[in-house]
Amino acid sequence: MKKLMLGNEAVARGAWEAGVAFGSGYPGTPSTEILEHLAKYPEVAVQWAPNEKVGLEVALGAMLAGARALVTMKHVGLNVAADPFFSAAYTGVNGGLVVVSADDPGMHSSQDEQDNRYYAKMAKVLMVEPADVEEARWMTREAFALSERFDSPVLLRMTTRVSHQTGVAGLGEPLSVAAKGFRKDIAKYVLLPSHARDRRHKIEKRLRDAAAFGDSSDLWNPVRRGASRVGVVTSGVAYGYVREALPDASILKIGLSWPLPMERIKAFAATVEELYVVEELEPFLEEAMRAAGLAVKGSELRPYTGELDLSTVERMLLGAPHHAVSVDLSDTAIPARPPTLCPGCGHRGMFTLFREMGLRVMGDIGCYTLGALRPLAAMDACLCMGASVGMAEGLQKFGGPKEKGRTVGVIGDSTFFHTGLPGLLDMLANGSDATLVILDNAVTAMTGGQPNPGTGRDIRGGATVRLDLGALCRGLGVTRVREVDPYDMAAVRKVLEEELAAPEVSVVIAKAPCVLEYRVAAGRPVEVDVETCTRCGACIRVGCMAIHEQGGYPNVDAGLCTGCSVCAQVCDAGSIAVPGEKN
Amino acid sequence: MDITNIMLSGVGGQGILTSGRVLALAALDAGLDVKMSEVHGMSQRGGNVDAHVRIGREVPSSLIPKGGAHFLVSFEKMEALRYLDFLRPDGVAFVARHEIAPLSPSLKEGAGYVAGVDVALARKAPSLVWVDAFGIAQALGDLRMVNVVLLGALSNRIGELAPENWEAALRDRFSAKVREACLEAFRKGAAHGRAA
Repeated sequence: MKKLMLGNEAVARGAWEAGVAFGSGYPGTPSTEILEHLAKYPEVAVQWAPNEKVGLEVALGAMLAGARALVTMKHVGLNVAADPFFSAAYTGVNGGLVVVSADDPGMHSSQDEQDNRYYAKMAKVLMVEPADVEEARWMTREAFALSERFDSPVLLRMTTRVSHQTGVAGLGEPLSVAAKGFRKDIAKYVLLPSHARDRRHKIEKRLRDAAAFGDSSDLWNPVRRGASRVGVVTSGVAYGYVREALPDASILKIGLSWPLPMERIKAFAATVEELYVVEELEPFLEEAMRAAGLAVKGSELRPYTGELDLSTVERMLLGAPHHAVSVDLSDTAIPARPPTLCPGCGHRGMFTLFREMGLRVMGDIGCYTLGALRPLAAMDACLCMGASVGMAEGLQKFGGPKEKGRTVGVIGDSTFFHTGLPGLLDMLANGSDATLVILDNAVTAMTGGQPNPGTGRDIRGGATVRLDLGALCRGLGVTRVREVDPYDMAAVRKVLEEELAAPEVSVVIAKAPCVLEYRVAAGRPVEVDVETCTRCGACIRVGCMAIHEQGGYPNVDAGLCTGCSVCAQVCDAGSIAVPGEKN
Repeated sequence: MDITNIMLSGVGGQGILTSGRVLALAALDAGLDVKMSEVHGMSQRGGNVDAHVRIGREVPSSLIPKGGAHFLVSFEKMEALRYLDFLRPDGVAFVARHEIAPLSPSLKEGAGYVAGVDVALARKAPSLVWVDAFGIAQALGDLRMVNVVLLGALSNRIGELAPENWEAALRDRFSAKVREACLEAFRKGAAHGRAA
């Protein structure tokens, strides 16, 4: 039986086949669909966590209870979950624990290109790397068995091109896994220094045992014998490119890539005359192979950044790509289509105001990061989840009179719950007078509308508590909490001016449900009166797909316009209105 | 390795990923291996979207290299031009006669669409088939059928896939409510492709 599925769906399938009892994680491209697919198996308990660290910690509890547990996140999410991850490496497991890190070579949807294979090495846990959809299924399934056999969390390292590859997977029967129950063992699970020192030796032994297993495993680390004298060591998605670039080469594909099966690699190297290593991003395999004394060609032949593709690998192994590019586009300027906020999005009026008011905006991760791009161009820094809050506090404190009273931290509801909260506690505890704007659209929008603690439903749509952001902030002790309607720009401007001038912490909550998720339309489409239009371009500069220039004048696409009226509010000539209504 | 490479391109929301899925399901129905690569996330907010579909007896990797596509199926003219260098020297571009203007940051900077896009496509494409996908879909009374019409136009050229494979894929992918309409749109597209 075979089925067409997405790589992330195959991870969910493999986990289900392994009898996983619990799945948790935080949404992040390219990992998000794993939990969404796992939630389709009613016998598995699946939930979104407010952040990756909490997701992993709940899974640790499930693992201690003897249940098999899966935790999913994008690569930078593992930075957030790193603390429990490193400690879980010391405790080992009771039930099998698989942590998925979906890396993003090429940074299609990420702020960095970190190679999370180093996490396995640094934490001293086992790591597996699927090369395609079918491997994503069976490797996930078998990773739980590895976890229990070697008493280690297993890092399942995906990349964008495996997570978002659609391909053919086999379908295995689900295993029946009996729940083990909690077993008290404080020497293993209470990491006091004396216990941890003992665990430290056990970790080294586990790595030696797992390396010996990998050295002898044809399943995890298969060798494909070719007719040529060239040999290639590779892992993950790079394997497919190598197969196509050099169909006659011998290939050692590393599926269990930490601890490295170095004896197997050495034995393979001894059978070939010319040895290459082809891997994406950092020279992870290559460093170890060189340290083991192998003469290998690799990273000096490929770009150090970005993802691989067939042409890159052919250039590496053959000197030139097999497919020559025959169509020349060098003389044709094709305008880019940068992603934009949706028509009717509640963030648009806010960023238009930030720009008009000349505010210094410390931004955060979400759809609203698009507020940094032209034509809104109203963001000055954006690093990682939750950072806007602390950065606004620091800039306000040290920016001098120039930045004082004009600095705002801007963060979405989900990102605030994720890691923004401790920043607000810092502001309060340290007497900051900074202003935090929370853009509350009641959902995790950028990754496709996943619920967060302010949404009021769980991953399967069931009702749950709906956290009130205003009450939360007031409960923490913020005295100046203002809730505004972001579609009423004049009112928001007044509130922002008041709060920026206030000598204490202010939180301004702009409440507008995500238009994409909740399909809310504010009203009827607007029209432009070209008789009175001065062609100043202010409406175009709100950056809306529904309003374009046509014949020298702005023109509204009634099919896209939701009637949010932000373009009308920035029109000084009063030329934009809903037909029949006065602006 | 005998692999047929089909690149799909367009603008977010046009049904590009759905089309790729139908193509992949048809390949699976024909007993072939298939891999498709797509990018989610940022690209959904009005950005350009592509899907790489590769079918054959054995398909090791999922990305089509530049210069390696046998077919380019584009839902929008400028997006056809953007991906034109993925075509092989003997490749064929199927392009919907449709324009979606990119966001122009200022009224004074103009609309920003490529001037003379039709001429550029005709001059640069190794082989070009215009598809009146929007006209056909409109005549059928459902603009969402544009993607199926385009697949129909392409279908005659994919020797590995028989009409029954396509039909099985369409029946698999679409709900009972729109299934017959999709099959009709596909047949109209196929007829259009044969005439081109």
